[in-house]
Amino acid sequence: MAAMLLDIGGVEVGYGRTQVLRGVSIQVAEGTHIGLFGPNGHGKTTLLRTISGLIKPWRGEIRLRDELISDKAPREIVELGLIHVPQGNQLFREMTVLENLTLGAWTERARAKAKDNFERVYALFPRLAERRSQFARTLSGGERQMLSIAVGLMCEPRMLMLDEPSLGLAPKLKDEVAEAIGRIAKTGVPFILVDQDIEFLMGLTDQLYMIDHGEVVLEFASGQALDHRQIMEMYFGTV
Amino acid sequence: MTVDVPAIIVSGVVLASLYAMMATGLALVWNTLGIFNFAHGIFMTLGAYIAWTISDEAGLGWGLAGGFAIAVATMIGGGLATYGLLVKPFQNRKDIVLVVVMTTLAGSFFLENTGRLIWGPRLKQLQRVVEGTVQPLGVSISAHELVIIISTPLILLALYAFLRWTRTGSAIRAIAQNQDSALLIGINVPRLYALSFALSAGLAGLAGALLGGIRFIVPNMGSEPLLKAFIVVIFGGLGSLGGTIVGAYVIGLIESTSTYFVGIYWTNAVMFAIFIFILIFRPTGLFGRN
Ligand SMILES: Nc1ncnc2c1ncn2[C@@H]1O[C@H](COP(=O)(O)OP(=O)(O)OP(=O)(O)O)[C@@H](O)[C@H]1O
Ligand SMILES: [Mg+2]
Repeated sequence: MAAMLLDIGGVEVGYGRTQVLRGVSIQVAEGTHIGLFGPNGHGKTTLLRTISGLIKPWRGEIRLRDELISDKAPREIVELGLIHVPQGNQLFREMTVLENLTLGAWTERARAKAKDNFERVYALFPRLAERRSQFARTLSGGERQMLSIAVGLMCEPRMLMLDEPSLGLAPKLKDEVAEAIGRIAKTGVPFILVDQDIEFLMGLTDQLYMIDHGEVVLEFASGQALDHRQIMEMYFGTV
Repeated sequence: MTVDVPAIIVSGVVLASLYAMMATGLALVWNTLGIFNFAHGIFMTLGAYIAWTISDEAGLGWGLAGGFAIAVATMIGGGLATYGLLVKPFQNRKDIVLVVVMTTLAGSFFLENTGRLIWGPRLKQLQRVVEGTVQPLGVSISAHELVIIISTPLILLALYAFLRWTRTGSAIRAIAQNQDSALLIGINVPRLYALSFALSAGLAGLAGALLGGIRFIVPNMGSEPLLKAFIVVIFGGLGSLGGTIVGAYVIGLIESTSTYFVGIYWTNAVMFAIFIFILIFRPTGLFGRN
């Protein structure tokens, strides 16, 4: 049997004494794109932070192509090419777009590809090319999201984790971001995409997982038709 | 009464230079690690003592250049050790800021008393970098003080260039701005924490060795400059290295002016009054952002 790209096995974690994830298991096969959704504050971001090594799981383990990563430092996980684009406005605010992107190519591996990757991200987000000498703190919400994703791409990802890249964006910008993510998917980079908007996820992923109270409560193929009522049920549990 | 303006300015700028070197190191560590290092003053004291032991005839007698070099190098090591022993073990704690106040204070008392045991209570003085006086612009000033006045901006400029234009420097700034994001692009954050600490301690050691040529070296010679460096960092604005440097010169000049007019004993009271007065109108300091 071929090894899974990412194998999350029974991960439990929390903050202080409060448990957030109660045994999450998700497998991501090579070349696939998966989506996570679920109500606010139920552990999606926590799961990504655990995968990228920012927090250590209490129980369970995480493997990347069979290699145990749940005991590694974030830096080592980045070096393996598993790149986490965090939720919200997490840029280097007092630096320009260009400086942010340059820092993205921090590891040896990424630096070797920096030249190609600059072209790639500027082609993907022409707006960033226009604003390369602007400070990150002065960018609009949409431009910041683009820059966050672009910094992730500068890291030369073998796999990406995108945490709510459409958060707070107007519909037109959201479409723009969706299109960019679609193009990233086509280049063959597998990803985990977190979002509240199931339709947004459906168009971009193969398999969807719903996280509720720190558990995977539902898993289905993105192609599977869902009507509005079913989605509302998922969120609110109304029968 | 005639006011000796040049004398006030010279002594103010000499003080300011030492404060700038001390405060910049303190601010670098605050910006990068988010902690205040209360052992920063002892780095200055030890820098002076070590430079003395290496260079003075009563010590090893290896000359002043050797004294300075070894003092700075030892303090760089001291900074690494302080980070590794007194800061790093507590970095995952929520109350890190308070814990580190206590661990570094404890470390500082320990080192101060160790210094007292090694070097005894007798006052020591370092040779001057250059002997004699010079008269630039018709103002008489000791050559050693002129060295301090000129070398400080050069050293700070080098630090600025390092932070601004090197890869490592921009990674240090990145950590200061967003630690999680720095981790998520693969920066070795603990290593750069250690480096910031080492740079900061090296600067303090150098400041101590320079101060040792104009003041007596005593076991607590670093406490007053440390206090002033704290004032400077807050006055200049937390988070802004440029503000810290400007703050150092403002504070130095206020201090020398106040010393001239009201004497050394009232000066601290005057300085704190001005300091508090300004913070009422600019709570984030001169150049601080929220
Ligand atoms: N640093 C922290 N310290 C303590 N509790 C935290 C911390 N970060 C998150 N939490 C808590 O953990 C729970 C899960 O948060 P998490 O950010 O993982 O949710 P989420 O599913 O990503 O939500 P959202 O959709 O709003 O982004 C929440 O109850 C949150 O308050
Ligand atoms: Mg989240």
